[in-house]
Parts: sequence; C-alpha cells; structure tokens
Amino acid sequence: MPPSSEGSDLADRELYSIPASSSWFRWDEIHETERQSLPEFFDGSAASRNPRVYKEYRDFIISKYREDPSKHIAFTEVRKSLIGDIGYLHKVFRCLEKWGLINFGAKASLAVPSSEEDVGPKVVVEEGAPTGVQVVPACIPQRKRVRSGTSAGGGENGFKLPPLTSYTDVFGDWAPKGGPVCGVCGQQSASGGSESLERGLAICSKCSKDKSQADCNTSENLKPEADDSTNHTTTAWTDAETLLLLEAVLKHGDDWDLISQHVRTKDKLDCIARLIQLPFGEHLLSSMNGTFAGSSLINQSADVKNELPQEPMKADGHIEADEKDALEESIEEKPPKRRCFPSFVHAADSLIKQVACLSTVAGPQVAAAAAEAGVTALCSENPSARNAFYINEDPKNGLTYASHDANSCLKTEEQDIEFDKETDTSEHVPLKRFGSTAFQVRAAMGTALGAAAARAKLLADQEEREMELLLASIVEAQLRKIQYKIKHFEELELMMEKEYALLEKAKESILEEWIMLLENTFKAGIPRWRDTPLPKPFFNTSTI
Amino acid sequence: KFRMPTAENLVPIRLDIDIDGQRFKDAFTWNPSDPDSEVSNFAKRTVKDLKLPPAFVTQISQSIQTQLAEFHSFEGQDMHIKEKIVPLKIDLRVNNTVIRDQFLWDVSNLESDPEEFARTFCQDMDIGDPEVGPAIAVSIREQLYEIATQSVSSAREARVGKKGRRGSDIVANSKAGNTVDLGKLFGSKGSVIRKRKEWYLYEPIVDILSNEEVGALDAREELNAR
Repeated sequence: MPPSSEGSDLADRELYSIPASSSWFRWDEIHETERQSLPEFFDGSAASRNPRVYKEYRDFIISKYREDPSKHIAFTEVRKSLIGDIGYLHKVFRCLEKWGLINFGAKASLAVPSSEEDVGPKVVVEEGAPTGVQVVPACIPQRKRVRSGTSAGGGENGFKLPPLTSYTDVFGDWAPKGGPVCGVCGQQSASGGSESLERGLAICSKCSKDKSQADCNTSENLKPEADDSTNHTTTAWTDAETLLLLEAVLKHGDDWDLISQHVRTKDKLDCIARLIQLPFGEHLLSSMNGTFAGSSLINQSADVKNELPQEPMKADGHIEADEKDALEESIEEKPPKRRCFPSFVHAADSLIKQVACLSTVAGPQVAAAAAEAGVTALCSENPSARNAFYINEDPKNGLTYASHDANSCLKTEEQDIEFDKETDTSEHVPLKRFGSTAFQVRAAMGTALGAAAARAKLLADQEEREMELLLASIVEAQLRKIQYKIKHFEELELMMEKEYALLEKAKESILEEWIMLLENTFKAGIPRWRDTPLPKPFFNTSTI
Repeated sequence: KFRMPTAENLVPIRLDIDIDGQRFKDAFTWNPSDPDSEVSNFAKRTVKDLKLPPAFVTQISQSIQTQLAEFHSFEGQDMHIKEKIVPLKIDLRVNNTVIRDQFLWDVSNLESDPEEFARTFCQDMDIGDPEVGPAIAVSIREQLYEIATQSVSSAREARVGKKGRRGSDIVANSKAGNTVDLGKLFGSKGSVIRKRKEWYLYEPIVDILSNEEVGALDAREELNAR
C-alpha cells in the first residue's frame, strides 16, 4: 500500500493523511531524517540494531496503525509483536508519532504532558476540584466566593450596553442574607436545607433527595451546616471551614489526621490542598515546624496589635512610639547583630505572619476586639516596660531627636538604612540598662508589635483610600450609564420628530392632490359633488 | 565502571521489616549519591507519616544503608557492557491491581529508562492507581541490578570470545532467563517480527481484584511469612 500525502491518490488505493512536513517518507527507503533521529540503528554499534531491523519495525508499526487509522495505537499494543530492546522500540515508536506517520489525527487518548509527574502530588490531590470548576450557566459557584463589598463587581455586571439593565437586575439577586441559590429548582436553600455540591451546582435538600442517594451516603449529609463530601467531589470551602482548618493547623501542626478531625467535613487530602492554596498556607506550615511556641504567643500578639493607637498621644508617647519603631526596624533589618534576642527575631517574624494570617481570616472586628483585650492584658502585665523607655529618653535627647526624624521617614513609608544608623546606638544603650533578659524580651516584643500596629494602621488608611477610589469609579460608571440612557432617549425623540415632520408633509401632499383633482373635474365641467361627503380628515383642514 | 545500566543511576531499595507483629513493606528507588543524612531523614519522615512505632526508624535506616553499602561495594569494579538482550518479567500485585508482563531489555542500553516504561505502561493500560507505576519501575530496576552485578562477577572469569556473528553471550546460570540469540534474529536471514502465535506471551495482563480477593491474598501472604 503506497503512502499518499494529502492530494494524490488512485481510486483503488486507500488514502492516509500525514503531515506535509513528513512527505519525505517512502516505504522503500530510509530517509536521512530517520537516520539522524535514530542513529543507534545506523552506526553499527550493535548487532541487534541495523537498518534492516529498523525498517521492519517501522513498517510493522505503520501498517498496524493503518489497519484502523481512526484509532490511536498505543505502544503497548505493538511491542508485543516485535523482538528487540523495548527502550529502542519505544524510541522508534515515539519518532514515528512525532513525525505524524502514526496516530496523526486519530482521536488521541489523554495527551498527558511529560511533566505530569513533577506536578504529581498536586494533580492527585486536586482530582475533586475540576468538578467544582466546571462552567455552570447560573454562575452559582461564583456567588459562593462573593464576599462582602463586591459592589464593584456588581456595577461591572450592570455596565453592559445593549440591554440596559436596571439596578434591581444587578443587585436584586445578590442578597447577602439568603443562602446560595439551588441550581436545580432556582429556590434559595435556606439555612435549614442541606446542600451538596455535585458537579459545581449547589442543590437544595429537596432536589438532592430526588437524586440518587447513593452519591450522598455520608451521614454528614443531614447536618445543616455541613457540605457534602463524597469520595471524589470536594465541595467548596466556606469561611467557617477555612477558619477551622487554620486553627487546627496552628494547634496540631503537621498532624493531618487531627486536623481533618477538627475540620469535620473535609478529609486529609482536601485539607492539605486547601492549605497549599491559601496564600500563606505554606508559610504557616514551615513556621509551625520552626517555632512551636508561636501558638501560645499568638493570642498575646493579636492582643497587643493596637497598643500603639491606644496610648495617649502625648509628646512623650509620641517620641516613645518613634523609639519603638526605630527599635523594631533595626531589629528586623539586622538580625545577625541582635545576638541578645535570636529567638525573639524568629518568633517575631512568625508571630507577625501568624497575626496577619489570623486577621485576614477572622474578620476585622474580631481582630480589633482581640487586640483591645490583649492590649490591656499586656499593659497591665508590664507597666514598667514603658517606664524603662521613659527613663532612657532624657539623657538621650539628641538621639531621640534623630529618631524623630527617622519616624518621619517611616511615615512616608521608606525604610532607609541611614534610618538604622541613626537609631543604632540608641537601641543598644537603653536595653543594656535592664537587668533581666526576660524584661528585655517583653519590652522589645511590645515594641515590635507596636510598630506592626502602626504599619497596620497605615495600611488600613491606604485601603480606605483605595475603597474611596473604587467607590468613585463606581459612581462614575453609573453616571455614564445614565448619560447613555439620556442620549438614547434624545435620539429617539429626534427620530420621532422627524417622522412627525414627514407625516405632516405627507398630509400636505395628499391635500394638494385632492385639490388638483377637484380643479381638474371643474375644468372638465363635471358638476360639484354636493352629495358625496368630503373625507373626514379634511373637514377641519380643507379650505374648499 | 559499575553503575545501573539506566539513564539515571538510581538504586532499587526494598524494605520488609517486622517488629512485634507489625509489618512494613515498601519498595522505591534511591539516588546513591545522596548524603547519608538523607537516609535518616527519610526514615523519620516515613515513620511519622505512617504513624509507625519509633522502633522502625533505626530498622529502616539500617536496611537502606545495608543495601546502599552493597551497591557501593560494586562501584569500584569494572563492568563489561556487552550487548545482551534479556527478557524481563513483571509479576506483581499493587493494592488491587495485578500485573503480569514480559518484554525484552537490552542491558547495554545505558539510556534506558524504567520509569518511562512504567509511565507508558500505565498510560496505555489505563491504570488508575498511582502506586503501580513506581512498583513496575522498581521491579525492572531490581532485575537490571541483578544482571549488572552478575556481569561484574563474571567479568572476572575468562571472557568468552565472540564466535563470529553468532556471538550470543550466554552467561552461565543467568537467572534473568535466556538471552536472545542475536545472530539468528538480527542477522540477514532472521526477522524481528514475532510470530503471531507468540504475541500473547508478550502481552501484558492487568487484573483488577475485588476487595475480598485482596484481603484473602494478604492473609495468605502473612501466613507464609510467619
């Protein structure tokens, strides 16, 4: 059977297609391309590999494929029929496939990328996820991800030109109080209904009962709060579950069995996957391995967060804050020099990270409340910490002045190295005054957290500004929408006016015709038609 | 010089440890150029992940290190890489999947890749269990390792000169099975296409067992081990 690339064929021969780039192929010969790709067969290095052998392999594989060109032929099917090293056979097979001489256009089995094994663990773990990511017309999974404050998103949805949507269309469906809308019956499944996410749709309890119970066998199906967790389809993670997960990780560290018990509705693999997905998840894991004491300090750190704003903003307090900032700055940026507090630096890093994590997870009110409570606790614990700082300011007026400058640098959010140099000496001396290292640790900790609080405040201001900006843009968008509507109506008006003018003209022309007709009849001598009534519309307007 | 006759010089390690009635079996590939500290890290990690009693840590480390030492003992010696095509057999059970297969492997092909073979195998046979692939690769490596070590020890014996084109290197007592007669097949008169009636012999067989059968087999293996 001679090969034929895309065009030439004779009626009684069968047509096979191969890519044009492989048109060098001939049954009777071995082309240079083949010699170069598979040098092992042509360099005489082995008795089992010579051109004749290669040609036999090649011809057999291609013929086998052409027995059924629509079906993808697998290597395992052909290798049983060929004698020779399986590695080289595979190489021949791969070359033929690469050139399109086999499996060209056959419905391929899953084209597995060669790098699959590198991504191995993640691919396995996320097996369930694709079902949740399916494109569903009702966009229901989207709603689950919608948190408070996405009015920007709503505004965008409404800003489509052709169907000018109204406010209720956009914002009416998005009711923060209602539960997710059932994908099947369109009703909101209230808190009483159990939900299960199958193939990405949230289904209310009624609909899920109608479906085969075999899928939802777990007893957790009946819990009102729980999402269904079948073997392979993982449900979306709610905030509550994520919070449980984080708590569990902080408490149990690496022990995934305990963590999955804590998060009752998710199994081990899901927990691991979810943690990796979270932006700080891996940090948490590594920090857990490093500082296990962090868990106990978290509460305290969260508490002390707002220590700085709470302090009375006296002049002394202000300068004290500067010193604290300076201390914290230099401590963080020069860890090798802080031989006194190596563990503190490490703890501070993970603490702050953990604090940040927790605050993102537990809403801002919770964090603020915790911070307040902790502030009072810590302040009452160490009243003398502040005294220590007070004491050292007076003899160091010159240096505090320098740190004042440094603080202004901080306000503009620049972290300069000279900033460090100025305050370098200041931090060494005051700390040497304290006898006990535990005291030093506490004081320094308070400092660090105070600085963190200051920065948090700055960030919060930033966020507010951004929010205002976004709000302004939303308002602008709405305005534009209204302007378009107005323009639309104006155009309609114009059109109507023109049509009215045209109608008027048409009326006039008809009148003229009528007049002309009458004139002609008079000229022709036909008597006036007294009997025939004039057409009604002309009663008012005719001048005859 | 001695090395695994594969593209990557990885050594197959097999563990079968029994402490106080609790049995731990595992098989995997190891990179012999890894530092020794990695062995203890691996042992600790394994015990922790599988929640085994701590006594396993030392046992696992020792077992791995013994096998690695054996590999290293061969490393200084010469290996003669003669062209030799041997049949390899796969006969193993991984969880619910039973695999039986045989195929030819050229021991002198230093670019060979058991892992790639296992990958292709699982892909073509549509095997879902991700543990099967590595098990196949380890099995292949073990067989190759044995052949390689034999070739080292036989290199010390007098070498049999090639007898013209019929230079089939029949090493005495080759446990890996009869090598393929290169001259007959690859010479001018032979054919490398296998006879159709023999195709079934070289076709892989994959069986999925039910849970009961798996349980029964496990129980029988335990009895045999005792």
